[in-house]
Amino acid sequence: MILPMSKVRVLGARELLPDVLPILQDFGQMHLTPPREAAGVHRVRPDQAQERWARQLGRIRQSVRAALDALGGPAASVSRGVPTGADRETLASWVRLARRVRREARALRERKVGLEEERAFLARYWKFFGPFQDLAEAAARWPGAAAYHVVLPRGGERPLARLKAGLREMLGEEFEIWSREIETGETGVLMLVPGTASERLEKLFTAERVEEIDLPGASGGLSAAQAIPRIVERYDAILGEVRALEASLADLARRHEETLARAHGTLTDELARLEAVERTAATNNAFVLEGWLPTSQVPALRSDLEKALGETTVVEEVSREEWVGEDVPVVLRNPRLFRPFEMLVGILPLPRYGSIDPTPFLAIFFPMFFGLVLGDVGYGLVLAGIALVLRHRSAKASTLRAVAEIAGACAAFTVIFGFVYGELFGDAGARLLGMRALVFNREEALLPFLGLAIAIGAVHIILGLVLNLISKLRQGRRAAIGPGVMLLMVALVVLAILAAVGVLPGAFFTPTVLLVFVLFPVLVVVEGILGPTELVSAIGHILSYARVMAVGTASVMMAVAANRMIGAMGSLLVGSLFALLFHLVNFALGVFSPTVHALRLHFVEFFGTFYSPGGTRYEPFGHWAPPSGSKPMPQSKGPT
Amino acid sequence: METAWTYLAAALAVAVPAVATAWAQSRIGAAGSATMAEKPELSATIIILVAIPETMVILGFVVAVMILIGQGG
Repeated sequence: MILPMSKVRVLGARELLPDVLPILQDFGQMHLTPPREAAGVHRVRPDQAQERWARQLGRIRQSVRAALDALGGPAASVSRGVPTGADRETLASWVRLARRVRREARALRERKVGLEEERAFLARYWKFFGPFQDLAEAAARWPGAAAYHVVLPRGGERPLARLKAGLREMLGEEFEIWSREIETGETGVLMLVPGTASERLEKLFTAERVEEIDLPGASGGLSAAQAIPRIVERYDAILGEVRALEASLADLARRHEETLARAHGTLTDELARLEAVERTAATNNAFVLEGWLPTSQVPALRSDLEKALGETTVVEEVSREEWVGEDVPVVLRNPRLFRPFEMLVGILPLPRYGSIDPTPFLAIFFPMFFGLVLGDVGYGLVLAGIALVLRHRSAKASTLRAVAEIAGACAAFTVIFGFVYGELFGDAGARLLGMRALVFNREEALLPFLGLAIAIGAVHIILGLVLNLISKLRQGRRAAIGPGVMLLMVALVVLAILAAVGVLPGAFFTPTVLLVFVLFPVLVVVEGILGPTELVSAIGHILSYARVMAVGTASVMMAVAANRMIGAMGSLLVGSLFALLFHLVNFALGVFSPTVHALRLHFVEFFGTFYSPGGTRYEPFGHWAPPSGSKPMPQSKGPT
Repeated sequence: METAWTYLAAALAVAVPAVATAWAQSRIGAAGSATMAEKPELSATIIILVAIPETMVILGFVVAVMILIGQGG
């Protein structure tokens, strides 16, 4: 639901403003609005010294932020409470610390990047030289020979044959040549030739346009046989060095991140108080602060101010008539079970204040539609396992936790509908365990499934139209006439269709159709020319729910096809492997596709009937806190 | 012969909207990719936008099912 909000005005003697602001900041619930100027009441503007102070604080905060970023972002574990009112000496110490940490972190990171690049470089060489390791002895048996390593482009044997012919013409039989295909698809070639032939050979390379590969710099002057063990040794040593650097970075974060995050918090709070001053209106003797807060919090604000300052300040509620039409900030507050779905609603702009919060409806219908489409006990259990792992690995109140909880709800509905359809990894449950559909088998009952999907669409769209009617009724009866007629007409069309297909007695058909014709001119009068268009659009939206059946049938057919592979491949093992692979692909599609379609059915079809976007984000004046999705402390990161 | 025409009609009922959907999605997808490069926060909205033209092929599928069921096939 959207929390009811109140607009309040805090008034007091002007000299009390510096005492009131920290109390409001500790309270952390008031969304301040810009001051309104009137005769004798003006906006408080900072003087030059205050502006300079704000700029200085902003620069220090930027420096501290850069240091935190260099450490990998503020840790979620940093406590929220921060000291306020830092003196100049403390500020200077923060600047020095931020500079030092940034310098050290940057140096460590640059060194790490350099080592990783070197490792990748060696790995590239390893791809080429690795296959020739067993040729070391051959090279050793020919002292005074020069080794050349070249890469020939893709193109089969022809470039190699040309190279061999060129060598034979130049050196007779005085050369050794070995070739292997390397991972890139090119051909790696190792040649041993007499040391005196170097100059002629290089001319041949130029003529044949072959690329010569030099050994890595550190191995210069060594033969491949000598260099390869050194490359391997260095490759392994780099990993240890990278881990040591990561440990140093983690240690740097452990020593300074807490201090830096507290500094960032203190500076942000100080800057927020300076901004709050600019949102204050004042007369020569008094100040006025206006803002929004949840209605339930108004007594708490009064009590906090009274406790701290006695009766020297006044908190008055602005009457609704005074603020009607203003942009009221929106706070969504839903029961624990529905809260993760606020993340999905957050994909769209916030609902307008006074309209309906769609979260509870999304929380019920989204996982239900997902389950209706995927509907398989096996896939549902796999998804539940993934959801559990995600939940275990995610921080409280993070996006990942919300995703895990939504996936859990979807998994539950997938298992339920799996029993309804009698599916466990497609028809494997029926074939191996004798599982039977509780209601209908999707493989065979295409028409009942289509009917169910469209019936659910009708219920969903009519529910949306009812919500629209309720929303309009809040604005007045007159505003509700059009949506009321629309709801009635859509319901009548649905009843007529049900009577036509024999779900309702045939006697319903004629009266409902006649009523539709009677109401049609009313709809045109009330809603204008767009009324009939919206009616047709609503019917189209109901038919759009057929996708639940279409995507669901595709999913079950894929699973059945996967199971058929076991018997169709000749070998049980190969068939089973292919079946497993196909099930994996189907599972991935089966998670992605219902998510997109269920979201689309909500955002386009369902929300289109009642959702009113355009709400203002609630940004209360409070203390800085690390974002809930903050990175964990760097020391918990594993080696890359 | 009549059965053949029925199957052809059902196939066309799916195929023509499928081509139309694919064309629409290719245009939305291209524009969406460009948008995502500049504003990654719009990814979810773009996925939804790409899914919107699928209504055409879904309705085509419903029509095809109706044709086949009407034929008793």
